[in-house]
Amino acid sequence: MAGIGFELRKLLKKESYLGLLQAYSYAGIISSGPWILSIVGVLLIGFFSLSVVIPRVAVQQFQVSVTYLLATSLIVTGPLQLAFTRYVADRLFEKKDDMIVPNFLGAQLVTLLIAGGLGTILFFTLFRDMGVFYRLLMLAAFVQLCLIWIATIFLSGMKRYTAIVWVFALGYGTTVAAALLLRPWGLEGLLSGFVFGHYLMLCGLWFLILQHYPIKFFIDFDFLRHHRMFHSLIWTGLFYNLGIWFDKLLFWYAPETSHAIIGPLRASPIYDLPIFLAYLSIIPGMAVFLVRIETDFVEFYERFYRAVREGASLEMIESLRNEMVFTIRQGLAEIVKIQGITILVVFALGKLLLNWLGMSELYQQLLYIDLIAAGLQMVFLAILNIFFYLDKRRLVVLLTGIFVVSNAVLTSVSIAIGPSWYGYGFALSLLLSVCAGMVFLSDKLEKLEYETFMLQ
Amino acid sequence: MSQYSPKIDVLLLLEGTFPFVSGGVSSWVNQIICGFPELKFGVIFLGSRRQDYGEMKYAIPSNVVHMETHYLHDTPAPPPIREHKGDPEVFKTVAAAHSYCQYSHTPGKMEDAYTAMLDQLIDGRLSLDTFLHSKESWDYTCEQYRARSTDPSFVDYFWTVRAMHVPIWMLKDIAANAPPARIYHTISTGYAGLLGTLLKRRTGQPLLLTEHGIYTKERKIDLFQSEWIKDNRNIFQRESTQISYFRHIWIRFFEVLGLSCYHSADYIVALYEINRQRQIHDGAPPDRTRNIPNGVDFDKLSLLREERPVATPKVLGLIGRVVPIKDIKTFIRAMRTVINQIPEAEAWIAGPDDEAPEYAEECRNLVTSLGLTDRVKFLGFQNIDELLPKIGLLVLSSISEALPLALLEGFAAGVPAISTDVGSCRQLIEGFGAEDQALGAAGRVVGVADPQALAAAAISLLDDETRWKSAQTAGIARVERYYTHEHMFSAYRALYQEALAQSRQQEAS
Repeated sequence: MAGIGFELRKLLKKESYLGLLQAYSYAGIISSGPWILSIVGVLLIGFFSLSVVIPRVAVQQFQVSVTYLLATSLIVTGPLQLAFTRYVADRLFEKKDDMIVPNFLGAQLVTLLIAGGLGTILFFTLFRDMGVFYRLLMLAAFVQLCLIWIATIFLSGMKRYTAIVWVFALGYGTTVAAALLLRPWGLEGLLSGFVFGHYLMLCGLWFLILQHYPIKFFIDFDFLRHHRMFHSLIWTGLFYNLGIWFDKLLFWYAPETSHAIIGPLRASPIYDLPIFLAYLSIIPGMAVFLVRIETDFVEFYERFYRAVREGASLEMIESLRNEMVFTIRQGLAEIVKIQGITILVVFALGKLLLNWLGMSELYQQLLYIDLIAAGLQMVFLAILNIFFYLDKRRLVVLLTGIFVVSNAVLTSVSIAIGPSWYGYGFALSLLLSVCAGMVFLSDKLEKLEYETFMLQ
Repeated sequence: MSQYSPKIDVLLLLEGTFPFVSGGVSSWVNQIICGFPELKFGVIFLGSRRQDYGEMKYAIPSNVVHMETHYLHDTPAPPPIREHKGDPEVFKTVAAAHSYCQYSHTPGKMEDAYTAMLDQLIDGRLSLDTFLHSKESWDYTCEQYRARSTDPSFVDYFWTVRAMHVPIWMLKDIAANAPPARIYHTISTGYAGLLGTLLKRRTGQPLLLTEHGIYTKERKIDLFQSEWIKDNRNIFQRESTQISYFRHIWIRFFEVLGLSCYHSADYIVALYEINRQRQIHDGAPPDRTRNIPNGVDFDKLSLLREERPVATPKVLGLIGRVVPIKDIKTFIRAMRTVINQIPEAEAWIAGPDDEAPEYAEECRNLVTSLGLTDRVKFLGFQNIDELLPKIGLLVLSSISEALPLALLEGFAAGVPAISTDVGSCRQLIEGFGAEDQALGAAGRVVGVADPQALAAAAISLLDDETRWKSAQTAGIARVERYYTHEHMFSAYRALYQEALAQSRQQEAS
């Protein structure tokens, strides 16, 4: 998220609490990411519709459908997300701005074909018993989401984070409004609202991209050429998104923890609700992380590499390395602190919160462990981000690989040994990944100058 | 008795000369190879980059049975990057060897640490991979930078050290793959000298070193002039008496290469006494040094004396390229005084003037401004056989020379000379050693850039026929006695025979 640091530093320069607050809110909004917005949106729609939509089960069907849409679209586009991000950044670095739009259109076409193809296959196979209208809406929403994730990447490339947030706010505002407006038509009505809101969002993103970049020729598939995208990033994107969803998928399809909701889609209400609630708790952590990484860390990171390039003394290089390590340590510590506070607050308010949301107190235990897991996921993300800055792509593949495998194994074990262990699989797998990440990070930072000079 | 039966008698190690570059040293190499048809020669040519050399400038004589070329700055594909620790023992030796190179130069003997490092280099423990990628190597580099570098830029220090050391591993590989030979003969120290050191260390066969100039000194001049060496000190850090640190380590690097070659060589040959002294000063063991000057074709040149006119022509000839190092301007200035005294005198400058056109232009302007236009002539390149009989006095006003063959050729053809006191010129004109000096002076030696002294010396010879005659006689006698082809070949024949005998002894034992 280079470039965001500039905005943040500007806000921080005001040197007032207001400036600080603004910086954190800004960072919080931008970094919480589309998926938090989607969770909030979906929960909101559900919350407001519970009393209106008849039958009640339709609300649950809607929420599950949308969750599946998000999960599958993120996993399907996962391999391309990071690789595209890097592709765009590299082209911009080479000052080949005119390659962005043609390749954006190429990427959208490829995404359309793949997502459309996959969706159509599911349309006629797994979902063949469902209503045509529902199937059409699902197909449209799936393709749109895939296109939106890819478009967001191209837009991030031009560092217009505020614009992205506005487009998402507009999109989800419309989604919620339209869904609420159309709720008398039940499941299809809610889904239509979702599709309409996302359609607007996609249009907004397209508009911003086409307006911003020079257009020399129409469409290009340069990104598909050999070695234009880093294979390591393709794998990382796949592993990370798969890792995030793997425990959920296991819970959705384990007979003892799930039941069928609609057609082939199953859900695990006992597992899903607490984890999505827990995800909301990481917004403060995200904000802190972004401010720390994008301002302090990036500043010393840039100074470190400038010092290396421009012939500073070894003492200078080492002291900047130490400053960089210090900012990382501070950043991670702050995330832990903020997440710790958030977790304590939710712990204290746990019962109250569950009662207020109308959820059974049986969820409490699971909510607690999910809070910890979500906090760890935040730390994991922070570590991955630092590795991206240090361009240690292979380590990131390894870390996300550890995450996927451990999540799959430990979650399966937790399902097998009984309900009191639910959530522990996911949390432990993240703990494992975070510990591994910390060890690698410490090792890499220890040898940073050595690797920078001798191994590149 | 070992099975060692090399096809090659003398393996020549040539850096930037024969057969790709024409010049004095290359011609000499060609002469040596052709002068010993009974010996089989091998040639290892070391160049900087392939594109710096064109076609071969010499036909390869038929007794050259092996020839290979290597380019030290055409970096071959480096070994794959691999993170590893490196052997602390190896770097202990490296550190010891380097501290020896940095501080004390024991004359005569190579320090044990240094030879231990060479052995590690040869047996592969100190590999290029270790140098480039190991943590030990990194730590040692940082330690040295902290302890010694006066230049703040670490990145420049790092790459200077790399650029300096990487060719060593190429030389190591060249030495490992070199064909078996009875003796190794390197024509300079520097990289070729290091190759000789490594070959000698591997096989134990005798190593000969012939130095035409003094490599380390020439490198120093190059390095002082080179623009590519960075100096990152700011105005407060810089002291005018201190040279840039990177220049300093480059110079020391070549000094150490020279030193290790002096220490490994069994026979060290200089062209003349001053250079031999310099070699000893730079660490060559005195008992292994000797002088073998270049020779000229005395018999052929003697015939030119028949063509000389009875009266000595009042012509001062300077045979050489019109370049600043020859200091042509001093000669021109001296001519003003000479012509004031001897109005009929003339100056001929015989040599190509296209190498430094600006300097040549300046010289012509000087001639005009001194009003010497019809007395000082730029002849361009001339055949000396036609030129020498028409000249009364050879002049050498250079600020640097080694063993100028022009002087010797002039003497043989009966032309005395005036020269600046550079290189071997005093030895050639006045003689070296009592026996030589007894032959008399073949002219006059004057200081560098002293036109008045040059003019006075010229007038004193041209104005006095007896003095001129005795100088001519001394010159002829000196060349005949010490500087003939025969003399040079017989000295090298003796040297090669001695070395070959040593090699055979080695095989027998």
